[in-house]
Amino acid sequence: MAAAAMAPKLSASSSTAKELTTHPIVTGSSVLAVKFAGGVMMASDTLASYGSMARFPDVQRLRQVSDGVIIGASGEMSDFDFAMRLLDELRVESECAEDGAELDAGEVHHYLTRVMYNRRNKFNPLWNQLVVAGTKDGKPVLGVVDQIGTAFEADFTATGFGKHMAVPQMREHWRADMTEGEARELLEGCMRVLFYRDCRTINRMQIAKVTATGSVVSPAYSLDTEWSLKSFKKEASPEDGSW
Amino acid sequence: MAFAAAAASSGGPAFFSSAGAAPMAADIGPAAATVVPKSVGIKEHRFEPYDFNGGTVLAIGGKDFVVVAVDTRLSEDYHILTRDVNRSVVLSPHCVLATGGCHTDVTTLHKVIDMRVKDYKHDHEVDIETHSVAQMLGNTLYGRRFFPYYAFNVLSGLDAEGKGAVYTYDAVGSFERVPYACQGAGQRLIIPYLDNVVGFKSRTDKPEGDLTPEAAVNIAKDAFITAAERQIRVGDSIRIFTIARGVAMKEARFAIRED
Repeated sequence: MAAAAMAPKLSASSSTAKELTTHPIVTGSSVLAVKFAGGVMMASDTLASYGSMARFPDVQRLRQVSDGVIIGASGEMSDFDFAMRLLDELRVESECAEDGAELDAGEVHHYLTRVMYNRRNKFNPLWNQLVVAGTKDGKPVLGVVDQIGTAFEADFTATGFGKHMAVPQMREHWRADMTEGEARELLEGCMRVLFYRDCRTINRMQIAKVTATGSVVSPAYSLDTEWSLKSFKKEASPEDGSW
Repeated sequence: MAFAAAAASSGGPAFFSSAGAAPMAADIGPAAATVVPKSVGIKEHRFEPYDFNGGTVLAIGGKDFVVVAVDTRLSEDYHILTRDVNRSVVLSPHCVLATGGCHTDVTTLHKVIDMRVKDYKHDHEVDIETHSVAQMLGNTLYGRRFFPYYAFNVLSGLDAEGKGAVYTYDAVGSFERVPYACQGAGQRLIIPYLDNVVGFKSRTDKPEGDLTPEAAVNIAKDAFITAAERQIRVGDSIRIFTIARGVAMKEARFAIRED
């Protein structure tokens, strides 16, 4: 694995043992995604951390598999690159058939689930939480799969720290008939809270959307922030101060 | 393709900039490359191939029917991943498998069993009998004896004579046929209730006539409502299958508490 090659040798690994990704090294934090009327929208920051260090500030964690499918990844970034390469090989092979058939989001999600499960069974996982978005027969599809192959579909979802901080906001504000603008407002609101509270985030994010007519990933941009909020202020008393 | 602006938008994309910052040191030197962050230590992330995602399955067999109920909450630690997961698979017009446990194993096991059942149908041009699925499921589970499917199964259907059949399993393939069963997160709360209401265990009275599918469905609903009060992994909704002799299989949904 690229990750294993990049990391310094740890005392536990013997020289004869096969190197496995038994723990993540260069990692991405939360990915957020919501369905809206006619499509799916996703958001993530562009940071790849090395432990607690904000090591790579310009990594695309939202990527297009094809016109109609996008993937967002949390976890080990080299494993994400590997998973994207598998999908690219699949796409090239499929294009050689020249039958016009393309994998839809449901099929990509299913394929990744099998890859993740098989790697788990070899105790050599791809250490990611992947969010797959697209459409199937005109309807939005939003799927999630993690490093052991746990897979499910949902109307909205978040990985990493977003599971703690974004999901409650999504539960409160999400509606099936949200417009695209409302979906973006919700995601940006969640990303802002994550930037305030998650230590593995920077204020540099991308959004991506998929509808029946195609997909687009935005260039990176920053959110307005407000640090004069009362709860951010450190008061003299430990009881009512900021946590 | 462009993005609709958010109502409280940040004013559009602006690139990350270090304008105005102090110039960086030219080179930190090779020694810096060998530093391993403490948080990357093996202790913090040991690979764990299993997870417990909840899931409770209940089945009640009758004279000429069987009722199966299974919840739809998918949980992980204290998170609810989704309130609408499917942990059951319809294997034939008279046979349903429902499973709790580690969801990655549950989905895989269901795919394997479904595939083998389809193979059987292609080979023999008849639907497989419930007792044959029961043995095949036991063998499939035992096939992973030394890296088990962390899956707790209840297989339900009609037997060759049209009677309700319920089979209950452990993770490595031991199984038995029982009149009623419950497995998974809410098992310990539901089994005593079923023993009392369906099994009439330790009671001095006798049931008034045979159990009907409608009565069994109501017992299943009560069982899940009760379990959801006390077990955090039980909730959201249940799927209820009714398989009766001479009638097409019915599937219904019933909402239970969501907190």
